[in-house]
Amino acid sequence: MSESQGLRFMLKAIRRDKGGLVGLVIVIAFLLWSLIQGTLEVLAGYLKRPSLGYMLLPHNPFALNFQYSLLPPSPQFPFGTNANGEDILSRILYAMPRDAFVAIVVVLSAIAIGAVLGIISGYFGGIVDEAIMRITDAFLSLPALILVIAITLPLKATYLGAILGLMVVWWPTYARFFRAQTLKVKNMDFISAAMLGNVSHVKLFYSYIFLNSIDPIIAYATLDFGNVILTYSTLAFLGIGISPPIPELGEMAANGLSGLPQAWWWSVFPGMAILMIVVGFVLLGDRLQDIVAGRITY
Amino acid sequence: MSINIIFFIIRRVANALITLLLLIVLVFVIIHLIAPSPLALARLYTGPHATTSELETVAKEYGLDQPLYVQIVNYILNVLHGNLGLDPFYKVPVTTLIGKYLPRTLELVIPATILSVVIGLVTGAIAASNRNKPTDYFVRGVYLVTWASPPFFVATVLQLVVAYYLGLLPPTGTVNPLLPVPKDITPFPILNAMFTGDWSYFWSLVHHMVLPTISIALVSFGIVTRIARASMLDYMDSDFARLSLMKGLSRRKVVYGVVLRNASIPIVTLVALLFGYSVAGAVVIEDVYDYHGMGYFITQAIENLDYTSVLGTTIVVGISIIIANLVADILYGILDPRVRVVE
Repeated sequence: MSESQGLRFMLKAIRRDKGGLVGLVIVIAFLLWSLIQGTLEVLAGYLKRPSLGYMLLPHNPFALNFQYSLLPPSPQFPFGTNANGEDILSRILYAMPRDAFVAIVVVLSAIAIGAVLGIISGYFGGIVDEAIMRITDAFLSLPALILVIAITLPLKATYLGAILGLMVVWWPTYARFFRAQTLKVKNMDFISAAMLGNVSHVKLFYSYIFLNSIDPIIAYATLDFGNVILTYSTLAFLGIGISPPIPELGEMAANGLSGLPQAWWWSVFPGMAILMIVVGFVLLGDRLQDIVAGRITY
Repeated sequence: MSINIIFFIIRRVANALITLLLLIVLVFVIIHLIAPSPLALARLYTGPHATTSELETVAKEYGLDQPLYVQIVNYILNVLHGNLGLDPFYKVPVTTLIGKYLPRTLELVIPATILSVVIGLVTGAIAASNRNKPTDYFVRGVYLVTWASPPFFVATVLQLVVAYYLGLLPPTGTVNPLLPVPKDITPFPILNAMFTGDWSYFWSLVHHMVLPTISIALVSFGIVTRIARASMLDYMDSDFARLSLMKGLSRRKVVYGVVLRNASIPIVTLVALLFGYSVAGAVVIEDVYDYHGMGYFITQAIENLDYTSVLGTTIVVGISIIIANLVADILYGILDPRVRVVE
C-alpha cells in the first residue's frame, strides 16, 4: 500500500466513525490555532509590538481591569473574568500554543530516543539489551509526574526546564515498543537479504526497522500527545514549568482555586479546556490504533 | 511450591533490586548534574544570610564538595541504612517527615485503588455485556472523560459540587483541627483513632478522606474498565463461554461467573500500575483539598527547592511502586503458569 493510499484509507475509516471524527476536528482545530497564535506571539516578540500577539483574541489577556473583577460568564466575557479582571477565554486561547509545543517536542524526542535505544537493544541483544532495558525499567518504575518533578526542580522549574524534564522521562515506552518491533522483524527474510546485500547498520535500522514500525507508532503517539498535555498541565498546576506572567492552563486552574466557591468559572474553564484537548487526542488516537491493528477493514 | 516458582520469584526479586539501585543512581545523577553549585546547596541549610566561609564549612560537613561519584556511593550506603539525609528546613531526617506524611497518603490511595478496581470491573462487565448498545457507549464516554481529565479538574469539580454547593462534606483539610490528636500507636492516624476508641476523631478523618479518595478513584478507574471490557469481550467470544450458554446456563451467570472470573486475571498486574497512577494523582489531588499527605510534602519541597526531600520522596515512592509491581508479577506468575515458561 503506498503512502497516499494509506493516508486516504485512514481518513476514510475515521470519517465513518463519529468519535474519531470529533477527535480529528478537535485535534486539527487545536493544532491550527496553536500554530497561528504561536506564530503571532513569536512575531510580536520579534517586532517588539505586543499588541500583535492579541490580535485574534477577544480581549487583551494581560489587561488588568479591576472594575471587571470576577465577572461571571456573559456575552462580553464568555468564560468570565479572574480576580484581576482579565478575560479567561483570551487567556486560555493565549496559553494553548505552549501546550501544543510541549506535546510535539516531547513526543517527537521520545520517538527519536526510544527508536535509537530500542532498536539497538533488540538488534544486538545480550549485555547491551540487558543494560538498556534495566535503565528503561528504572524510569518506568516511577509515575512520569513524580520523576519530572524531581528532575525539573534543579532546572529552576521553568518552561524550558519542564520540557527538558519531560523529554528525559518520556522515552521508555517507545524504547520498549521499538525493541519488541525489532525482535519481531529481526529474523525475517527481508532483513537477512538486506544484510547479505551489505546494507549499513544505519540504513538497516532506519529504512528496514524504523519505517516498518511507524504506523503503530503514529497511532500510539497521537494518544500520547494527550498524556503529555495532561502531565504538563499538572506540573503547571503545581507551579512547575511556567513563566509568569504568561498564562498556562494548569496554572490558571490552580489560581482559580482561591476563588472557588464564589467564582467557579475561574478554575473550571481552564480545566475544561485541557479536558477537551486531551479527549480529542484520545478519541483520534484510539481510532488510529484500531485501524493499525487491523480491527477495521473496508 | 515447585522449584520452578522459587526460581521465578528469585529472578523477579533480583530484577527489582537492580531496578531500584539504578533508579536511585539515575535520579541522583540527573538532579546533581543540573543542580546549582555546592555552595548554593549549602545555602539551603544555612539560610540566605550565611557568609562564604560558613557555607564552605556546611558544604564540607554534608559532603557537598566531594566529587559526584563519592556522593552517590555515600548516598546509596545511607539509603541502605534507611537514611535519606537531613531536611534543610525542618532540620530533621527526611525519613521522619516521610514517616509522618506517607501513611496519610496511603490511607487515601489504598481505598482508592480498591474502589477503582471494583468500579472498573463492574462498569467493564456492564459495558461488555451490552456491547455497542447505549449503555456501552455511556460507560465508555464516562471513562474517556474521567481518564482525559487532569486530576485537579476532577477534584475541583467534586469539591465545588459536593462540598461547597451541597455542603455534604468538608471542602479542605485532613481532620478537624480542634479535635485532640489521639495517641501515636501506629503511623496511621485512622488506626490510632480506632485503637484508642476516639470515634469523633475517626469520623472527622473519614469525612475529610471521602472526597480525595473518590477523586483518585475517578481518575484511575478508566484503565480497569477498558481492560476488563476488552478481556471480557475476548472471553465472551470464546468457545467455552458459548458452550456454557448452550448447556443452558443463563447469560447472567455466564457473564458474571465464568467470564468475569477469567477476565479478572489481567487485572492483577493492573493493580500495581493503578497504585502508581494513584500515588501520582494523589500529589495533585491533595493540593486541591489541602490534605496534608505526601502531596503536601512534595509541593512544600518544590516551593523550597528542597533537593534532599524531593530526592527522598522520589525514592520512597519508587520503592513502593517497585514492591507493588513485584507482588503483582509474582501473583500473576502463580495464577498463570504460562508466564513462568515464557521467562
